[in-house]
Amino acid sequence: MSTIVIGLSMGMLLFLLAAGLTLIFGMLRVINFAHGSLYMLGAYLAFQMVNVTGNFWAGLVAAPIIAAAIGALMERVALRPVYNRDHVYQLLLTFGFILVLDEAVRIIWGLEYKQMYPPELFAGAIEMFGSSVPSYRLFIIGFGAAVSAALFFILDRSRYGMIIRAASGDPEMVRTLGINVSLVRTGVFSFGAGLAALGGAVAGPLFPIELGMGFNIIIDSFIVVIIGGLGNIRGAVLAALLIGMTRALGYSYAPSWVDFLTFILLIGTLILRPEGLFSRKGRTA
Amino acid sequence: MNIVKSTILTAACAAVLAFTGSNYAMADEPESFKIGAVLPFSGPYGIIGKGMKQGAELAIEMRGGKVLGKPVEVTWEDSETKPQPAVQKATRLISSGAQMIFGAASSASTAALQGITEQRKIPLLVTISADDKITRKNGYRYTFRTSNTLGMEIRMALEFTKAAGLKKVYGVGADYAVTRDGWDAYKAAAEAAGVEIVGVDYPPLGNRDYSVIIDKISKTDADGVILIVTGSDGVTFLKQAGQAGLGKNKVLFGPVLQDEVLAAAVGPDAIGAASGVRYHYSLDNPANKAFVEAYRAKYNEWPDSFAGEAFDGMSWFLDAVDSTNSWDREEWVKAFEGSVRENSVEGRKEMRACDHQALQVGLWGVVEKGEAPYPDLKMKITNIFQPEVLFPECEE
Amino acid sequence: MNAQRLMALIVAIVISVPLMFPEGHSIGMVNAILIWSIFAIGFDLVFGVAGMLSFGHAAFFGVGAYTLSLLTMRMGWDFLPALGAAGVIGGALALVFSYFAIRVSGLFFALLTLALSQLIYIMAGTKLRMLTGGVDGIAGVPRPDLFGIDFYDDGNYYFFLLALFVLALLISGLIRISPLGQALKAIKSNEVRAEQIGFNVQRLQRSVFTISGIYAGVSGGLLASLIFYVGPQMLHWSTSGDVVIMVLLGGMGTLFGPILGVAIFEIMREWLSTQTSHWYGILGLIFIISTIGMPKGIAGLIQQLWNRIMPGGKS
Repeated sequence: MSTIVIGLSMGMLLFLLAAGLTLIFGMLRVINFAHGSLYMLGAYLAFQMVNVTGNFWAGLVAAPIIAAAIGALMERVALRPVYNRDHVYQLLLTFGFILVLDEAVRIIWGLEYKQMYPPELFAGAIEMFGSSVPSYRLFIIGFGAAVSAALFFILDRSRYGMIIRAASGDPEMVRTLGINVSLVRTGVFSFGAGLAALGGAVAGPLFPIELGMGFNIIIDSFIVVIIGGLGNIRGAVLAALLIGMTRALGYSYAPSWVDFLTFILLIGTLILRPEGLFSRKGRTA
Repeated sequence: MNIVKSTILTAACAAVLAFTGSNYAMADEPESFKIGAVLPFSGPYGIIGKGMKQGAELAIEMRGGKVLGKPVEVTWEDSETKPQPAVQKATRLISSGAQMIFGAASSASTAALQGITEQRKIPLLVTISADDKITRKNGYRYTFRTSNTLGMEIRMALEFTKAAGLKKVYGVGADYAVTRDGWDAYKAAAEAAGVEIVGVDYPPLGNRDYSVIIDKISKTDADGVILIVTGSDGVTFLKQAGQAGLGKNKVLFGPVLQDEVLAAAVGPDAIGAASGVRYHYSLDNPANKAFVEAYRAKYNEWPDSFAGEAFDGMSWFLDAVDSTNSWDREEWVKAFEGSVRENSVEGRKEMRACDHQALQVGLWGVVEKGEAPYPDLKMKITNIFQPEVLFPECEE
Repeated sequence: MNAQRLMALIVAIVISVPLMFPEGHSIGMVNAILIWSIFAIGFDLVFGVAGMLSFGHAAFFGVGAYTLSLLTMRMGWDFLPALGAAGVIGGALALVFSYFAIRVSGLFFALLTLALSQLIYIMAGTKLRMLTGGVDGIAGVPRPDLFGIDFYDDGNYYFFLLALFVLALLISGLIRISPLGQALKAIKSNEVRAEQIGFNVQRLQRSVFTISGIYAGVSGGLLASLIFYVGPQMLHWSTSGDVVIMVLLGGMGTLFGPILGVAIFEIMREWLSTQTSHWYGILGLIFIISTIGMPKGIAGLIQQLWNRIMPGGKS
């Protein structure tokens, strides 16, 4: 039973890591390779805030806001001039962001590992099903569920979501309706960058905060996005949970095969349903 | 230009070249002693390169900056922790006259460097990479390692198991060849010593979530957990184990689990974790005291294990070179082989002639709370194991 | 003379530096440029000519390197047959990849190839460790033993690499002007119309992907022999990223552009990294600026300058 709880928390964490990637792809058709770097930036920013204020929650709030501002800047300065070119150029630009962001983090925070801890409220472990589950894991489950619900509401039910979806589907049409499409795009990219940083801030207490951390999660995030169906928030949640559960079971019976299990899911998906397991529409790219 | 003219010109050039060449052969004494250092300075491993550079620079400074009466000139190159740049840069350093190569950090880069240094017959000084294969009997004539091997650190973990009286041990190893070999060796020896092996798991190298494994271990009656993982993997495990309270009734230890850099990354959850230590500034001997004092004066920080090992290896190697009074690299190799250093910063070290591995004591320590001027979390050296129990006979 | 020839001249100058300065220290770098150029030329057949962005070429590159190393070191093969086998295996793996990946296009194709190559990377590092030496890789990869020449001398090895480089360039040039190249260009500009005309789009794409895999396999084998070492790092997706950066920087879809991109990248690595430890960040900035400002890379820039200096002259 405890394995299921842990699997759930792993899944939700994966979702938090991948949400920004899936959002930016779904709405802008940009694969953001710098997602991992923004995630890392989020962890460092949260560390810095916790260090200054002594409060975990301050980091959780501030990191995404700062990263969102940086994301907006990236979009305005670099991505905007290339929207009318082939998608490849946008992807490659985000590749350049990786190098610049990583270097910036190295200059600001140096090479030493940084660390942060779970907030007081979720510091201990809770006895359940005969094992002690760290309460921070339970927080991640709850927080991940809340974020996914909020995203779902914003994108699927609210007016903003409607505008965003319309702008990604038919920018010319939306423009004639008097909506500033450029602004919408900046907003979406910035929001996605903020989500990546949020993932980093949440992951901070679980992993060492170091320069290579962005490289490590980017492939995981891609897998979530592919299995979930590119740009599909609901699919991303389900895919993340599926992968989390698979991994949790893998860890209990055959830890050395965990990475393969993930890839088997991925390749199975690609063979059976290239458009994603949880996709409603046909393939999108 | 006609053929005659060009032929004369070529001949003249050749004569000049031959003359200068023969001149060199007679003098055979370069202007300076050139060291090519290939270390990671960018990327996540940059911290290793920084410590090694500081340690090696101090070693050269403390001998007056000279070897064989000539100034030492070091060129620092960034290996990016990748084999290709490491080899490429070493090649260039050698072709511009480097007398020796110092580096690299990761075992993969070092193994790659061995290809080129053996080929060009240039000594390679290794002070960090721990893969046992780097030094082996009849292996690499020009490679010398003054630092620990993983095999020796595994044996330290075994000695610790016995000394701490652990009866039931659970193993966790990163899934790759060296750790699997290490585990097999540990398991066989531990079982022979009457220790029960409760279980073993091999999560992938670079694994990020140990919570299921930690949960599994917490449900066993093991009294010790050996973690054959290094760097970030160890940090991740200890962080997550701390959150689940695994360390409360089980001893967490490993051959290269913790040092002060990694303990700082874990935080208070690291306290109590036991680990092999490559070098430590607290060692009580005159050579180390002099080194630590000079290091703190120069850099205003405690030397980490990368700096200590680099200092020790570089001082030793240059002393060996000086003792030959010759610019013949073969002489250096002969002098270094079998040389004994009574006053290294870690006590006595002996460069074994059969495999070019330095025999030395093994340091073992535990993470504890530190007070100023020490870091918040420091290693306390608890055991010093003698080379006789750590180094088996020379193996191919 | 036109811009194309000017570029050919620049390439010729770069790669003949060791001939002009035999005592220089540039030889190691030029050898690396030659090898990566073979990789980049092959990659551009897929990327520039056929318009498919692959993030999986690290797999063919690395597998080629392992093939050469294992055949020469464990099976006692001679160098040249082993190098040929590296190309064959690289191409065969590319063919396998293409069956999965060509069903989708655009960004999906990029992600799919990325995922597949990452699977190979993980396998080489762990489960295939008996074969690959795991994360530590295999050291001591040999160089060719031909005509009694000492190819362990970088100056001699240069000529061996130069010969292969010229061969690779020639074949690539022929493919570009061949019916296959023309058909691929047609597919790139309009896939639907190409299909209507009667091209078997998938088969053509599969062919060029396989050819490109052969290039990658051969160059991977050569790199292993240059640095006497092969390890899983060569299979990592960032290797694919490197070659993409090189080709784009130099100019995708041109014959000489990729080579210029490789040269710039390697020169920066050699020179900039001795100037500053922040060179990766600077590389990133240069890359971003050139992606925005000169989408056709250095080749495009040269073309533009040429057109300005020589108005009316068409290349």
